[in-house]
Amino acid sequence: MKEFWRRYRRSPQGMIGLFIFLFFLFLAVFSFLLTSYHPLRDRYLADRMARPVWMQIFPKYRDMPRTVDLMTTARDWEISGEPGIEAFLIKHEEAGVITFLSAEKGRGEEKKLLLEQAFLYEQTPPRTFVLTMQVKPELPENLSGHLALDIINPAGEIFALWSEEYTGARARRPVRIDSRDQALKRRLQLSPFAEVTEEIFTGTGEYKLRLTATFAGEEDLLFPQNGRLEIENLNLRILGRLHGVLGVDHLGTDLWSQLVYGARISLMIGILSAFIAVVIGTGVGILSGYTRGVVDEFLMRVADVMLSIPTLPILIILAGLLGKSVWNIVILVAVFTWMGPARIVRSQTLSLKERSFVEVARASGAGDIYIMLKHILPNVLPLVFASMVLLIPVAIIYEATLSFLGLGDPMTATWGRMLHNARGFGAFTELAWWWILPPGLSITFLSLSFVLIGNTVDDILNPKHRERS
Amino acid sequence: MTNAAAPPEAGAAAPICEVKGLGYGNYILRRTIYTIIVLFIILSLNFVIFRLMPGDPVRSILDPQMTPEAKLLLRKQFGLDEPLEKQYLLYMRSLLRFDFGYSFSTRMPVKQEILDRLPNSVLLLGLALLITMSTGIVVGVFAASRRGSFLETLVTGSGLFAYAVPAFFLQLILLLVFGYFLPIFPIRGTMSVPPPPGGLALVLDRIYHLILPVTSLVIINIGYWALYTRNAMLDALSQDYIVTAKAKGLNRSQVLYRHAFRSILPPIVTLIFLNLPTAISGAVVTETIFSWYGIGRYLLEAVLKQDYPAAQGAFYLIALAVLICNFMADLTYGWVDPRIRVGRGGDRG
Repeated sequence: MKEFWRRYRRSPQGMIGLFIFLFFLFLAVFSFLLTSYHPLRDRYLADRMARPVWMQIFPKYRDMPRTVDLMTTARDWEISGEPGIEAFLIKHEEAGVITFLSAEKGRGEEKKLLLEQAFLYEQTPPRTFVLTMQVKPELPENLSGHLALDIINPAGEIFALWSEEYTGARARRPVRIDSRDQALKRRLQLSPFAEVTEEIFTGTGEYKLRLTATFAGEEDLLFPQNGRLEIENLNLRILGRLHGVLGVDHLGTDLWSQLVYGARISLMIGILSAFIAVVIGTGVGILSGYTRGVVDEFLMRVADVMLSIPTLPILIILAGLLGKSVWNIVILVAVFTWMGPARIVRSQTLSLKERSFVEVARASGAGDIYIMLKHILPNVLPLVFASMVLLIPVAIIYEATLSFLGLGDPMTATWGRMLHNARGFGAFTELAWWWILPPGLSITFLSLSFVLIGNTVDDILNPKHRERS
Repeated sequence: MTNAAAPPEAGAAAPICEVKGLGYGNYILRRTIYTIIVLFIILSLNFVIFRLMPGDPVRSILDPQMTPEAKLLLRKQFGLDEPLEKQYLLYMRSLLRFDFGYSFSTRMPVKQEILDRLPNSVLLLGLALLITMSTGIVVGVFAASRRGSFLETLVTGSGLFAYAVPAFFLQLILLLVFGYFLPIFPIRGTMSVPPPPGGLALVLDRIYHLILPVTSLVIINIGYWALYTRNAMLDALSQDYIVTAKAKGLNRSQVLYRHAFRSILPPIVTLIFLNLPTAISGAVVTETIFSWYGIGRYLLEAVLKQDYPAAQGAFYLIALAVLICNFMADLTYGWVDPRIRVGRGGDRG
């Protein structure tokens, strides 16, 4: 082992390969430290295809806005002083829950409550904002509730973003207001091509969010009534156009996270499929080479047939039919790549079988299985190891290709999938090279690292194979 | 597929059958029978894959509003009401006639859809092969004749490049640079829509659309050809008869082209057929990236749409093409290898 490392260290090729591999291994192992976002689940972190933050060094992008998150708690809201209406606001202990109660005393047709929250926006106008919250009405039969949300810009213009009528009691339901929504544009009487944000965000200064709750019943209803409207997790996110190390994709998910977690998947798939393929290949190779005869003929014919099947098309078909999952890809790639190692191991076994130590073992009464496991296997292992390392890039590239073609696991972030999305969702028309190049180069360099390591290991462990290219 | 362009599949067709004391005729017969058996196995696998999958192939086209009678009729139309063994026989018969049934998504005969696309695929792959081969061989010969030159380093390094760079990434980069960044070449399609009028304009338009995909294929595969040619040339140059030719006083180019190069021609013919299967398999990626109206993209789209008859037809055609190439490689290999041609034989296991 020491001797192996001493010789390995002398190969510049091998060392470069090892360093690249360690770099990606670092990304894979410490991905949770390198990024705080989930690669797929944290959406709308920034505007669609926001650029990386470091692009600020170019004057053109210096003034682009960053994401502003307005996570509000009940405390942040102030009761707006509409004359004549007294209101009650229960500040719950759980932050973020705003409860409107129809608690005001007196008689009347409706009771109204206004809450306002001011915030400063001091960047260039954004392109998109998203407002999310959850609403839970609990209203008696004789009472209906009405909620409305407006935004008021520094110029004093009021934009009625959303309103809804509630009756009865219902479970908590999410509400989502997206500035790109066509219904919102109609509501604000804008053309379908207008940007809502351009109308609202006309300059820097103090903006206001206004929530209005109205409780209404028959004329002359005696308040207080036992009705309430709960609003939870109200969050206004003004999406920035610069984000993170590599920007975001079309859904606003963090590309750096995808790249970092992609290293994990690629390494896992590559190593696992190569391992399975090599296990199958070694078993078949030893059995074939040792027993010869019918078994050998059969196994080698099977390998021949497998080699005659066009690999990529059959992988595409099977991945499509078996369902898009990482494990399917691992197993499929292994099933269609074991033949190479099998042939190598078989020919090595053929020559080992004739060596004297095997003959001695056989003469002293060792069984076939014992000889295969104790004498042949240890002697083919160096070969097996080298061919496994050389199989890893093949597996990595097959996985990347399948993912790129849209047959990857929809629940996992992989490099191939990043490129698939880049192709499908406009990274090319926008020349978003920071989206396209990193995953592609990662696949290339990780594959290259295994080729370099594999060749070096092969040179050291199996000197006979030295002259190959 | 670049990775596939590298060793694993390259050795695929090298026959490992041990020819002992058999003539070339016998060898051909054996390979023919073997190829037919493999074809049969692939077809059967195809049947198993598509028929025994969870879910009924008809279900994906069934409209929930259909009456049970209509559903039954549809199943009958696709032959799904027959017992499995009869389905198998029907399937075999129809495949031998290239009759793949009707596409689920377009309701057109799959055969017709494939025939529409086949010339495009053949054009793309054929042109790419022709250019790759000719330039690759020239580069390889030059690399062999100028040992230690930059060109030679480039050629020997290209093997590594081809093994590590995924084909689709290289093609994406070409598309990004020459299709989008510098909009010189069309970013998608086989021809302009609507096609330009007139014969010459039409041809030029086709060529214009071919440039980017063909270039990408040439870049991906040229290293393989150049490397092979270089090694074969170096091999040939070290032979005794070359030494004799040199000693005879022939000049360098005469030795290089008259003697050495001529001797490597036969293995290069084999290489064409060894190289084609990977090129055909890789067409799925190339055609998808450049939105090429060909068989490969048809296969992928069929799989993504769960259009089983279409996927089956496209896969059958690709597998058949690959099989024929492997067979041709065997034939030329046998013809080139004197041990087989003369029939003395040797253990090449």
